Amino acid sequence: MKRGGLQGYIIKRLIYAALIAFGVVTITFILLRVGPTSPADKYLANISARTQDPSQVIAAVEARYGLDKPIYQQYFDYLVNMARGDWGWSFSTSLPVMKLIQRHWVYSFQLILLSMLFSASLGILIGIYSAVKQYTKTDYLATFFSFIGISIPNFWLGIMLILLFSVQLGWFKTYYDTGLPMFSLANLKALILPVITLGTGMMAGYTRYARSATLDNLRKEFVKTARAKGLPERVVIGKHVFRNAILPIITIIMFDLSGVVFGGAYLTEIIFGIPGLGRISFNAIFANDYPVVVTITLIGAMVVLLTNLATDIVYTWLDPRIRYD
Amino acid sequence: MKQISSKLGGLRNLIFIGTLLVLILILLLDIYLVDDQILGPMEYFYLFFAILVILYGIYPLYVNRRLTKYYWERTKRHRLSVFGLIFIVFLVAVAFIGPFLTQDPTEVDFQEKSLPPVAFSIEQSVYDLKSDQFLTTETPGTWQHPLGTDDKGRDMLAMLVSGARVSLQVGLLAVLIAIFIGTIIGVLSAYLGGWADMALMRFTDIMMTFPFFLLLVFIIFIFGPRLIFIILAIGLTGWTGTARLVRSEALSLRTREFIMASKSLGASDGRIIFRHLIPNVLSSIIVIATLSIPGVILAEAALSFIGLGDPTVTSWGRVLHAGQRSLDTAWWVAVEPGIMLFLTVLAFNFLGDGIRDAFDPRSQL
Repeated sequence: MKRGGLQGYIIKRLIYAALIAFGVVTITFILLRVGPTSPADKYLANISARTQDPSQVIAAVEARYGLDKPIYQQYFDYLVNMARGDWGWSFSTSLPVMKLIQRHWVYSFQLILLSMLFSASLGILIGIYSAVKQYTKTDYLATFFSFIGISIPNFWLGIMLILLFSVQLGWFKTYYDTGLPMFSLANLKALILPVITLGTGMMAGYTRYARSATLDNLRKEFVKTARAKGLPERVVIGKHVFRNAILPIITIIMFDLSGVVFGGAYLTEIIFGIPGLGRISFNAIFANDYPVVVTITLIGAMVVLLTNLATDIVYTWLDPRIRYD
Repeated sequence: MKQISSKLGGLRNLIFIGTLLVLILILLLDIYLVDDQILGPMEYFYLFFAILVILYGIYPLYVNRRLTKYYWERTKRHRLSVFGLIFIVFLVAVAFIGPFLTQDPTEVDFQEKSLPPVAFSIEQSVYDLKSDQFLTTETPGTWQHPLGTDDKGRDMLAMLVSGARVSLQVGLLAVLIAIFIGTIIGVLSAYLGGWADMALMRFTDIMMTFPFFLLLVFIIFIFGPRLIFIILAIGLTGWTGTARLVRSEALSLRTREFIMASKSLGASDGRIIFRHLIPNVLSSIIVIATLSIPGVILAEAALSFIGLGDPTVTSWGRVLHAGQRSLDTAWWVAVEPGIMLFLTVLAFNFLGDGIRDAFDPRSQL
């Protein structure tokens, strides 16, 4: 492969990601402006109780947040502020949004990371096993359970787990304990139910992908060759099939982030009271604290954008067969 | 008359455009002339999509009876997908007829709060005024409320029936909107090519970058929780997958011989799009539509569950929300709507899988 071709590809990919980021921020700005209530109203809803004259407050709020400037100026300021990490002031918690995010992101991160590890490792294993034993009882059972896993609403699963293991059996607390140190067994135990809640649907999805990716590869010529060479089945599956099947699965896992994982994590955090980004966005919605809601939506989009970018770039190194010219 | 109809690609399109104009006329009347609304916003959507589905979905299937039979035979071989279909038909029947047979789902009655379903009973402590102490009584479920009541004494059965209606409404309407937009954008993008294709696909990429649920929450936060907004929000954000699929299929179709032939015979762009492109991607569209209904139903339920649903509508998500509050006193309030939601999603997933295999000529059944 030509070196220049690859570098050119990466640069092109970076510029493209920057364009998408710009588009994402623009869309949130448009949505905020076309909404039936102006940002000033949302602020006003929070402070009007304390003051007497609403019109004075509106003027003050508009001046404070630059809402009296012309719209293109506001748009420009919005873009600059978002890019600089100046995400506004959360008035329901009296903190800069940046500070709030810094304090809470780690809870979302640990939940999502553990769920992905749990679901990807189990899902891929079951999927490959099920493909190798195609059309056996085990395979049908795995397919059936993956259907159930995909169809079960994850917020309901969470409630059912709480009902069974916390309310009836009393094994776990019904709420996530935030006082626990991050790297402790107690914290891990507190995360068991949330991880199952978030991970089950993902696991079922990965089982299906892994099964079909393995089946595709099992029919390939190089598998026949490997078997003809007299390699033990363990090596044929473990080395030849697995390595080829794993790439598309990883891509799907990465691109799945935006759909299943973030929505699921949002709901899981609300059910178990985990103070991650989903939970604070949820609190902010009911406090009309719109800078927080906007920022968390944007962070979600940016994480998706960056993982897609990273997946594409890592691919150039993982899969030397792809050409970029 | 005949000339106009052939120019628009057949009588069918003429009927479609005609009814569309009538609908727009009623809408204008609604806005400018009449004080009372002739039709509610939901009814416009229903009428529009009913016409669309009858003209471009059911009518072609009716005309091509041999093909319809072939697809049905293939779908039937998936036994689970037939179960799915039966459940969905049952659900539709419940949603249509049920509200006339059940009680008012919003009727609050604290005398009968937290009653268990039939065949179950719970222990309740009741304060007895006469003896001035708490008495533990065994409360069995009654046939008056076969599925029990929630912590405000609302009838669970009635709430579930109402929820079925909401879920189907949201699922079908939002998916139809999404499919409609996705098809238009996909076909335009593939057909126009060049700059238009670039712009449309970059816009699709931007929309795809937003995590679906976060964007949904954001939009409902800004526009307020009304059922019509929820449907529109899901429809207006969920079209990206369809657009990409339709575009890629249309791109490969565009170079095929029959479209070339039709072009060289002087067919207009509109005729090629409506007569050749869309009918040929229709099977993929039907598959993606069926498979995206469960996600949409779940999205609405999740919104209602976290309290961002329409407060005037009794949906499964909202009942579940109430159920989480009373987990330790009335487990059935959280269990029952979840089971309905689960079965509905499962049924659509089964059916979608069956239809996908039936429409895929490569799959051996």
